[in-house]
Amino acid sequence: MINTLRILTMLAWRNLWRNHRRTLIMLGAVVIGVWAMIFMTALTMGMVNDMIEDSISALPGHVQVHHPDYLDDPNITNLLPLPEEAIADRFRSAGFLAWATRIKVPAVLSSERESRGVTLLGIDPQREEAMSFVDYSAVEGRFLEGPDDAGIVIGRKLAETLETELGKRVVLMSQDPDNDIADRGFRVVGLFSADVQAYEEQYVFAGKKTVQDLLRVGDRVTSIVVLGDDYRDVEPVFAKVSALVDDGVTVSRWMEIDTYLGTMLRVMDGFVLVWVIVIFLALSFGLVNTLVMAVFERVREIGLMLALGMKPSGILGQIVIESMMLLVTGLTIGNLLAWATIKPLESGIDISVVAEGMAMMGAASVLYPQLRFEDVILANTVVLILGFFASLSPAWRASRFQPIEAITRVN
Amino acid sequence: MRYLTTIAALLLAGIACHAAEPAPDAKAIVRAAVDHWRGLSSYSEMSMVIHRPDWERSMTMQAWTKGDKKSLVRVIEPKKDRGNGTLTDDNNMWTFSPKVNRVIKIPSSMMGQSWMGSDFSNKDVARADDIIDQYDHTLLDTHDADGMIVHEIRSVPHEEAAVVWGREELLIREDYVVLEHRFYDQDGELVKALETLEIEEMGGRTIASRQRMAKADAPEEWTEIAVNTVEYEIDIRDSVFTLSNLRNPRD
Repeated sequence: MINTLRILTMLAWRNLWRNHRRTLIMLGAVVIGVWAMIFMTALTMGMVNDMIEDSISALPGHVQVHHPDYLDDPNITNLLPLPEEAIADRFRSAGFLAWATRIKVPAVLSSERESRGVTLLGIDPQREEAMSFVDYSAVEGRFLEGPDDAGIVIGRKLAETLETELGKRVVLMSQDPDNDIADRGFRVVGLFSADVQAYEEQYVFAGKKTVQDLLRVGDRVTSIVVLGDDYRDVEPVFAKVSALVDDGVTVSRWMEIDTYLGTMLRVMDGFVLVWVIVIFLALSFGLVNTLVMAVFERVREIGLMLALGMKPSGILGQIVIESMMLLVTGLTIGNLLAWATIKPLESGIDISVVAEGMAMMGAASVLYPQLRFEDVILANTVVLILGFFASLSPAWRASRFQPIEAITRVN
Repeated sequence: MRYLTTIAALLLAGIACHAAEPAPDAKAIVRAAVDHWRGLSSYSEMSMVIHRPDWERSMTMQAWTKGDKKSLVRVIEPKKDRGNGTLTDDNNMWTFSPKVNRVIKIPSSMMGQSWMGSDFSNKDVARADDIIDQYDHTLLDTHDADGMIVHEIRSVPHEEAAVVWGREELLIREDYVVLEHRFYDQDGELVKALETLEIEEMGGRTIASRQRMAKADAPEEWTEIAVNTVEYEIDIRDSVFTLSNLRNPRD
């Protein structure tokens, strides 16, 4: 048995290099195919990862607590039924990486010439530094100094749109819980920049206390946000938060708040498999063709081997082994090539040329390819398994030859 | 309500027959002018012309005001806009359009938008006049024009006032007719101005009967409001200023 296998392997290897030009071309195709699978997967995963991390940083917090109606209608009437003090008492000693209470409501910001709809965030800047997408030290001017800061911090892009600038006054307009207009003038004390341009237009920051006074909500807030260690594994934090709050509120994971993102994460994992299979389908035509040719060329030889007493299964094995050898060689080189091209790019690819388009998708303008071990394994396994099945058909045909017909066949 | 006032009551200003005080205080002048725009109540018919370089449209409206909080404006002409109305009550604002048969409360997000397509914003129309208390007033100058004393007043909004302007300037005649109201941005550049074009004696008062609002950087685009008839200090029932009257006029 072992002996037969040894002979078959030797035969297969030699056959492979009998027409080395054809084998090299096929090898080239496999290498490029595998490289494309892994490289493109790494790029896609890098982009998705970036997008998700950016979006989570804007949520922020992997687990959030809201009024049950708030997620459907982010309105100031849907306040948490707990005063801030009570929340702080419970969360303070729970040992989260970071947590904060905030007010997040839609508002309108106007300058002399323009007005724009924005999302107003009433925050306590010290508490949120760890979780914010804004780098406080990179803010032009200054960031908020405390929950009762009287200034407002807006995005650079928004300032441009409103034709206002640092040090000027803008008017913020929103609604109080009685649906009456709540508005106030604020001086722009800081301009922040964000990786994702859309955030610069969407979010404005003001002190939490100031916002509570403006909206006449006392010491209530709309959200509690809690940061965990890993965005892919939020269950422990979720369980801990759920235990801390009462029944009348909703605790949600980030993938429930931003279902688009959550779905995307799952779709992308599936997408990698689809991508690998699509490339393989293209490859498989070449592979089967190569094998069929190899079989046709050797009809008389195969007939001879059968006549000399080789079992049909031996012929089958020989051809399958031949194709496996081709694929394994191709995979090895392809993997190495992919690794060699991704490694130097891991520090980031600057795609700022298309930054605007990327920003529309919510992605940043630097792409960090992400080589994940499981994606590499997936690509290799798919190629080997499907390759095995693809080579079965020519191998099967070869093993079914009638020796007498095969020997006398004139090519 | 500042410009509903413009529409309905500002134009009616002119009670003031007494001469200017010897030592005029800027805030008092503004307050007097505002009080005189409003009167206690008024009913008027006026026309509004919205002018753009390539088109122009005009409409005729009826307006009722009572006190400083309540007002109702209803379009009479053109026919296709007939019945469109705006009700304001204490900073809140509702509109009604017979075409959709629905009363809509103007949300804060729409307060900055144009009122009936004109150069006035909803906020201009709905906001009760904050100009007295939310600004610091200084008397810049007092001069004579056509035999009347004209006060030039600069009003700077307080730090936390919900006002985008850097400052406003008012020209108020001694009989409290506002001749001009200019809005400057925070760089001191003129953004828009409301100018009185005609002053007439109407309903027993001297009022600005034709006024024009125009943006400084687009002088070809303006909105003009002219008062056709006016009565005031008349008895208007509170039921006029209700949502049901906005929807179903009971005249």
